Amino acid sequence: MNYKEITKKYYSELEKFDSNLKIFENNNELHLTLSDPNQLHGLCEFLKKSFDLRLLTIICCDEQKLKAGFKIRHVFGSDVDDFFLFVISSINSSHSYFPSIYDVFPSSILYEREINDMFGLIAKENPNIKPLILHDFPNDIFPLQKDFKLNDVVKRNSKQFEFTPITGEGVCEIPVGPIHAGIIEPGHFRFSVVGETIINLEIRLGYAHKGIEKLAESMPLDDVIFLSERISGDESVANSIAFCNAIEKIAQLTIPQKAKQIRLLFAELERIYNHFGTLSGILADIGFQYGASRLNILKEQLMQLNEKLSGSRILFGVNQIGGVKTNITDKTLVGIHSVLDDAFQNFEKILDHLKSNSSVMDRLRNTGIIEKQMAKDLGLVGISSRCIGIETDARHTHPYGYYPSVNLKQKTPRETMEHQVELQKRVGDVLSRVMSRVDDLRQSKDIICSIIALENDGLSVSLDEELTPYSSGLGYAESHRGETLHWVMIGEHDSIFRYKIRTASFSNWPIIEHAVLNNIVADFPVINKSFDFSYSGNDL
Amino acid sequence: MKKNNDKVDNFIDMSFRSDTIQDPLKMDNSIASNYRGYITLDPAKDFILNDKIGKILENSCPTHAITYQNNDDSKINFDNGKCILCGNCQIKSPELIKITNKFDLAKKRRDDLIETFSMSAPFGKTCDELGKELKNKIDKIFGRSLTIREIDAGSCNGCEIEINALNNPIYDIERYGITFVASPRHADVLLVTGPASKNMERALKIAYDSTPNPKLVIAVGACACSGGIFGNTYATTGGIDGIVPVNVYIPGCPPRPQALLYGILMAINKI
Repeated sequence: MNYKEITKKYYSELEKFDSNLKIFENNNELHLTLSDPNQLHGLCEFLKKSFDLRLLTIICCDEQKLKAGFKIRHVFGSDVDDFFLFVISSINSSHSYFPSIYDVFPSSILYEREINDMFGLIAKENPNIKPLILHDFPNDIFPLQKDFKLNDVVKRNSKQFEFTPITGEGVCEIPVGPIHAGIIEPGHFRFSVVGETIINLEIRLGYAHKGIEKLAESMPLDDVIFLSERISGDESVANSIAFCNAIEKIAQLTIPQKAKQIRLLFAELERIYNHFGTLSGILADIGFQYGASRLNILKEQLMQLNEKLSGSRILFGVNQIGGVKTNITDKTLVGIHSVLDDAFQNFEKILDHLKSNSSVMDRLRNTGIIEKQMAKDLGLVGISSRCIGIETDARHTHPYGYYPSVNLKQKTPRETMEHQVELQKRVGDVLSRVMSRVDDLRQSKDIICSIIALENDGLSVSLDEELTPYSSGLGYAESHRGETLHWVMIGEHDSIFRYKIRTASFSNWPIIEHAVLNNIVADFPVINKSFDFSYSGNDL
Repeated sequence: MKKNNDKVDNFIDMSFRSDTIQDPLKMDNSIASNYRGYITLDPAKDFILNDKIGKILENSCPTHAITYQNNDDSKINFDNGKCILCGNCQIKSPELIKITNKFDLAKKRRDDLIETFSMSAPFGKTCDELGKELKNKIDKIFGRSLTIREIDAGSCNGCEIEINALNNPIYDIERYGITFVASPRHADVLLVTGPASKNMERALKIAYDSTPNPKLVIAVGACACSGGIFGNTYATTGGIDGIVPVNVYIPGCPPRPQALLYGILMAINKI
């Protein structure tokens, strides 16, 4: 089914809900404008009941300049169909309320808190309206409103953040962070423990907030790509692909097949080196240094390959709008295959070693278990959802770039059966996440090795015309953490009017608060690492 | 729509040695020739600096690392502390800009990261700089073991990947007597990354105050040196030297492990 048929299917169903809805189609996006924001709640219940849609993100945009007030776009997606549903409601002025949908989609709480921080709009009924991203910020200044200037000096107040108090006999609090013992990013964790067991965890993030969304509005289009690479250093390719996708969608630009292939190669190489790194980190956190070092060598090998291919060890500067900057030839492709063959031979050996090591398996098994319903409610994506058997993968649900053309070897019935048995063992613990990563790694290798020859139609096409002002598009990609969404609205003269980024980390972070419950404090590092979220990608 | 032609590239040697690098500070084949390490005006080329070239160079840089001064003697200022190694300037004016894989760029003063190219001054090192280098070499005998606390003040985690790589068996920083410790109270050196987001400002100050004297601070990456692409905005402070005193600046986006090692050794006067 192509997206025209899919959108038609949903279109006719939506008309059953209310025949007066204004619906507008834009590629694989279906835009639905609500005349009254209070309809939202009923519509969400309808969407969840009849289509089982997921809430992907909530985008707020200050369009007071265009005499449209604030627009709030609730974006929904399906796990099976390649389509996005935008429900658009307008709010007239700042300091006003918009309906919260937390009781239908609990994951909306985070987005509503973010909008409260950045735009000053308040989600009515939301039980938790603590500041999310901005720390010690005055109550009357909102960075993403258009009359706030990027370089405005904001005097921070010295108010203390209020953590939820957990009291009782023998309950202790352990504050950790924002500076941690390891070489990782900043974030604060407030544990409440009884003895060794964690009974509550509250996470406070936002320490790495750099104002990326606001900064993008002041930059020329071509420079924003460098910014998108630096949303999260280890997701540089995925994020820049998502940004390019959004712009190319707006411009109706078709990029050359070769550029698509090269993007795919780099995206998969990025996935491989990061999964090696994460697996190594997990082993280091349980004190198995031998395995950690072996995997670190593989990561280094992949990073040196990155450097030889692109001039950057973490693949900065690969993409550009309309294609890629870095060339790969058939000769270098052979080189990539041989490096991967070598690395994966070693990897399988290390894996066998781990599986036969009972002290490793004991630490991984039944640690940090998450529940399926919880994962669904919070809208988890990527490895975090696959470890409990929810298959979310933007490469399959929203095939982009060269992914639709990749031909992987068909599985034999026996292999399929074995795979099913393997999946049944996934119970959402650290071991399941390790095995999901191993699956992902093998699949990435297969994808890269399935490309044996590159097309010959150039590296990039250029944007010739100025983009239509106030047109918008949603770009997406699957990073090694999960589905990444970039929504771009173009302003006048090829500037950016609004750039909304939702990385996989943002939607996944809250699950850690649930995964650590009833585990001991000493297992927190390995649970945290098994999810491997980006702090910078969350805080923006 | 026009299609750009493929650039012809040479065969790339993919060999990988999994043993520890003998001397990471020596330029050898462990660094790819196309690695974007140090971007400079090509001194081998004859060129006449005029307003047109100056403006093209200035506009090509997303982080404003290149500035053009048009006085009696026109000058190009190259701020390595701001450069994010995107290579955009070379794409815009390939005849002038040269990208090398040099990594030994760490400097002890922020101003030393800024290079000036003009029509009248000769390229290369001045006597003053050579003298300073000699003095540093004499200081070599005062080497000692070192403990480092890494602080992420809002980086994109690119620098963390490279700092983590220092601990892997390939670069193996521990053989120099350098270890990463869990608390600033155990540390001699603070290795700070990120443009110092406003939200991390207080934590960074507290960490600096808790580090026992004598202490050194190393700014890692373009962000920590100058704010990098994130600059100085409502959310960032534009470089960590506005918050804590900095002893060594290591530019790069991110600096490769060899560059980090070079900077750390420079901080303890081993170079």
